[in-house]
Amino acid sequence: MSDHSHGIGGLTFDRSKRAWPNEINVLGALVLIIVIFEALGAYLMGQSFLFDSNERFDSIFNEARLRIIILQVSIIGIIAIGVTQVIITGGIDLSSGSVVGATAMIAMSFAQVAEVNGYPNPKAIFGPGLMDLPVLVPIVVGLICGVIAGAINGMLIAYTRIPPFIATLGMMVTARGVAKWWSKGNPVSFPTDSYAGIGSGMMPVVWFVALAVLFHLILKYTVYGKHTYAIGSNEDGARMAGINVARHKVLVYVIAAMLASFAAIILSSKNLTAQAGMGLVYELDAIAMAVIGGVSLSGGRGSILGTVLGALIFGVIISGFTFLRLDAYYQEMVKGVIIVAAVVLDQWRQRRAASKS
Amino acid sequence: MKRFLTTAALATLMSTNAMAENIGVSMALFDDNFLTVLRNGIDEMANEMDGVDVQIEDAQNDVAKQLDQINNFVASGVDAIIVNPVDTSATAAMTAAAEAAGVPLVYVNRQPINLDNLPDNQAFVGSNEIESGTLEAFQICQNLRAAGKTDGARAYLMMGQLSNQAAIQRSKDVHDVIGMDMCKFITLIDEQTANWSRNEAQDLMTNWLSTGEPFDAVFANNDEMAIGAIQAMKASGIDMADVEVGGVDATQDALASMQAGDLDVTVFQNAAGQGSGALNAALSLAKGEDVARSIFIPFELVTPATIGGYLAKN
Repeated sequence: MSDHSHGIGGLTFDRSKRAWPNEINVLGALVLIIVIFEALGAYLMGQSFLFDSNERFDSIFNEARLRIIILQVSIIGIIAIGVTQVIITGGIDLSSGSVVGATAMIAMSFAQVAEVNGYPNPKAIFGPGLMDLPVLVPIVVGLICGVIAGAINGMLIAYTRIPPFIATLGMMVTARGVAKWWSKGNPVSFPTDSYAGIGSGMMPVVWFVALAVLFHLILKYTVYGKHTYAIGSNEDGARMAGINVARHKVLVYVIAAMLASFAAIILSSKNLTAQAGMGLVYELDAIAMAVIGGVSLSGGRGSILGTVLGALIFGVIISGFTFLRLDAYYQEMVKGVIIVAAVVLDQWRQRRAASKS
Repeated sequence: MKRFLTTAALATLMSTNAMAENIGVSMALFDDNFLTVLRNGIDEMANEMDGVDVQIEDAQNDVAKQLDQINNFVASGVDAIIVNPVDTSATAAMTAAAEAAGVPLVYVNRQPINLDNLPDNQAFVGSNEIESGTLEAFQICQNLRAAGKTDGARAYLMMGQLSNQAAIQRSKDVHDVIGMDMCKFITLIDEQTANWSRNEAQDLMTNWLSTGEPFDAVFANNDEMAIGAIQAMKASGIDMADVEVGGVDATQDALASMQAGDLDVTVFQNAAGQGSGALNAALSLAKGEDVARSIFIPFELVTPATIGGYLAKN
């Protein structure tokens, strides 16, 4: 089956080395999906999907749609940045959605105002002494929630050697329990203006882009990044090469949970409320974004750039469906098909590349 | 002697029964604002009464889990069961399980599909869902008329979870109202689901805004989605005085939004009233008293003019 005609090793020509970087394929898929929506839009709606036909924005683009495409995936995208790193180590994190719920409830409780429209805050969790606090307090409290959840995940995985699926499944159930227990299911609302500013307007996008650039560079150019890929490619090899695998895994899960916690802060700020059900199944959307972006579930392969492109594919699909006024029933069906199709294509491409080397 | 012992045992049994009524409660889910108020309504009433113990379980939106909880309640010998069904079409099995054991059962908030066939010791306490969507849509229609938009108004409809009876009914109510002669001037541009969620509603509204279509009103199946829509519109610089927005539930967040002049219409569903009503019905049935098959707690319209009476209720 495989084609070895190019020889092995030496100076012979190796076509696999000339393969496009994986991200180009994801970008291609993104462009393809946009083209499909443009065509359907022209045919069904008589309107363009991304280009403005009504001269409303002083530019050739429909800027409002471009903004929402990225805004609606920014918060889950931030979670996906952490999930990507976990998956690259060969692990999985199912707890991020629940960590979002728990962190949102706890952080928001430290961000409440004492008075709403001249009345005492009807959703107050603490007494007046813990209201109208500086914005740093809820942020630090929220990030500590992430550190705790991530450290428990990481230590369970690294030291008890239970599979990441089980450890983070436990955290998924436990953290959702914490979210519900915190205020006995009551929503926590009415934050201070400074807390509301963290996620207002396009701020989620700013955070998403900043964190994506930061972690893309960290994964590509630092020891932390090299160790992450090494553990995912060959854990025993990494251990023999002197990498402290256990410690590094704890670090990766802590970073992933802190990113989920930060996403929770942005989400509750954007919505001006925290609810125990927040972040439900976000972990699955985050994993899907990473996988569509070419991150391999068997570890060792993928990049933040790929995940960002995967997130954009999600955003384009959601906005495209609304643009076409497609019923919600079909939206979910098509979304599922796209997730599976992306992985099938990626596997097929990998096998082909492997057979050529 | 044997007979005496039996009588004594029965007497003890009955007297413990009289001292403490054990009521098992299975809620569809805990992390829902409205259902939390309802749950607290049950809890607070039980705390105020002597000799009533309630045990509240979370079915986590899982039909199978809920049926297991009911069977567990039956097995532990509760005096009555209150169920807030996860799925209103899955109630026949619950009715059968309770009926087989002779335990009274009360459905609360969500109308069971087998309402007409409930045995005598089962009942439903809730609000008539047809009222809520109709009250909301009709008030928005009146507001639009008052604003002089009778020569044509355009609206969006934001629906709750598509598998949910209330979402289906409230959406149908909107369609029915704008089908009336008086409200025919309203046309729907699009209707989509935002799954009851504020965050999804923000994103959906922003997507709608990106089409650049002019519109005059947003009908939302609940307040959380109405607030999400308002947040998205304000972020795009729309003056909320120009748009009529309606929701259902009269949550604290919604009332604050109404006070700020953003939300125009909401509908108060007496969650605590439903909770205490369900507990009353369950206690009566446990004592062997007759209870009406359906007990309706009415919906109430809330507008800026009537908001005062509702600030402390939900």
